[in-house]
Amino acid sequence: MSNRDEPFFVGYLPCPPGLRLFLLAASLVLFAGAGLLGYAIASTQDDPGDGRLRFDFGPQTVIGVLEMTPSPVLHVTQGTDAIPEGHTLMLSGQGKNGAVDRAQALEGQLVQATGILLQRGGLDMLQLNGGNNFRAADDQSVIPDIPEPEPLGRWEITGEICDGKCEAGAMRPGRGISHRACANLCLLGGVPPVFVTTQPIEGEEFLLIAGEGDETTPPALLDYVGLYVTLEGDVSRHGDLLVLTVDTDTVTVVE
Amino acid sequence: MSVKYTPVQWNTSKWVYDAVMLAGIALFLWLFISVAPGALNHEFPVNPPIANARAFGACAFVMLTVILCIGPLARLDRRFLPLLYNRRHFGVMTAAVAMTHAYFVLGWYFAFFRGAERWETVLFANTSYGQVLGFPFEALGIFALLCLLILAATSHDFWLKFLTPPVWKAIHFLIYPAYVAVVGHVALGAFQSRGNETMAAIFSAGALVVAGLHIAAAWKERRVDPHAAGTDWVKVGNASDIAEGRAIIARLPDGKRVAVFRHEGQLSAISNACAHQNGPLGEGRIIDCIVTCPWHGFQYDVRTGRSPAPFTEKVPTYRLRLEQDEVFVDPVPNAPGTPVEPVQATQEAMP
Repeated sequence: MSNRDEPFFVGYLPCPPGLRLFLLAASLVLFAGAGLLGYAIASTQDDPGDGRLRFDFGPQTVIGVLEMTPSPVLHVTQGTDAIPEGHTLMLSGQGKNGAVDRAQALEGQLVQATGILLQRGGLDMLQLNGGNNFRAADDQSVIPDIPEPEPLGRWEITGEICDGKCEAGAMRPGRGISHRACANLCLLGGVPPVFVTTQPIEGEEFLLIAGEGDETTPPALLDYVGLYVTLEGDVSRHGDLLVLTVDTDTVTVVE
Repeated sequence: MSVKYTPVQWNTSKWVYDAVMLAGIALFLWLFISVAPGALNHEFPVNPPIANARAFGACAFVMLTVILCIGPLARLDRRFLPLLYNRRHFGVMTAAVAMTHAYFVLGWYFAFFRGAERWETVLFANTSYGQVLGFPFEALGIFALLCLLILAATSHDFWLKFLTPPVWKAIHFLIYPAYVAVVGHVALGAFQSRGNETMAAIFSAGALVVAGLHIAAAWKERRVDPHAAGTDWVKVGNASDIAEGRAIIARLPDGKRVAVFRHEGQLSAISNACAHQNGPLGEGRIIDCIVTCPWHGFQYDVRTGRSPAPFTEKVPTYRLRLEQDEVFVDPVPNAPGTPVEPVQATQEAMP
């Protein structure tokens, strides 16, 4: 049966008195609810850690011998306060671009590189400035020997395949499934891939993943980027950087 | 209702509605972006574009959830009908907020790639459609955003008239697949990247509330509207149960609903579906001799099914017969706008 006493709302007519209090209460609930949810959902965000672009250090200029894995790494012979001599430094370009194209002609040479340091804990990388800021050093008369790679054996390790640049601090956060597409783009662009382990390997939590041929990232790994995976591979030490050659047949997603 | 199309037919209700909505959105975003990070006390907070993308994405999800709650809430408690009145503004604003989310995502995660534009990179950056973990959840977001943009673009009454109400209504059912896609977008994306499970709990609760309210409203509707008895002239109720200026609703054998109104002691029957957006006319009432729809105030003469001039909307009418206090309806509807002589009720309406 129809209810004779119920107030009836028509949008273009004045609000019935019997509804005003209810609508005021509904408005307040919606307004307060919006605030509560905004605050509550924002409060669930994880700490993205300390990775960041070290603009506070200013541009860093280092000299070293270039090795290709095929991701370019620099065995630093003349460093800075932030990048010590003897360090093995990964290199990338700007944006979602690596530095392979610029580095190929310089392999094995003494190179001068200027850029901004990215740093997250023990992981760091130099984002090269454009122009003439990545070139052969003026004096090539004495090129120091780079350390021979030291094989550390075959390992089964668990962790995540990331692009080294975002993970090092270009993005905060720079890992996980919601970052997966971005990481794929970075890796397709030639940014060095890194494996972030759940347990330290030889004291390191990050390993540079070796590429195949001219590919900085083994193509078979792209389906596993950003996921929690277990894999097997050979680990070797290049200077103070661990390099992982993945057996791509062994990669499995950990549920 | 209008005889000409204007961008927005503003009135006080719409101004108040939009003001409350915009204030809520502003509060949500301000607390998300500016206040909560301070309380989290992270030494190095998330990048601003990521924070913005998260804030607008979460806001769009909450808004979509609220929008989908309004319909069933209004079915369960008619005092919520005013929230339905201007829901299209809510929808358009949701599309705008979702678009802003996409803008920040494309401008951060999918930009800076040499050789392809950001709208291209989002399509090929992740193509692992065959796996659950790592599924390209962005595709679900794109689908939902396209749905929201289509709904927003066709929300105006011009499109309702141009497309015809059945087509328009069918298109606007896209809101449901869009919401399912958004739930998948969040569940396969953000949920998988958070150590904190509170967010999953909040979003899941929102989706469950939407589903629960729809089930409750459907259950109530099935329970409340009686099935008319018979196949020829069908009994729809008793005249004494119909209050002056109000109606009873019954479901006819063909599934359509009829509304039988009492006006100045006489009974008339028209289709329960408003020609505008299928609003339940039988839940409206007669104002100044005219049936007024509870959703958007569209009006019809109960004896003819026609909107008063200069308006042109029409709804089907039905023939009525009275036996003692029992009201019978011929289930075959008259063409929309066909005049039918009212039937004098012999019984007074119950007080």
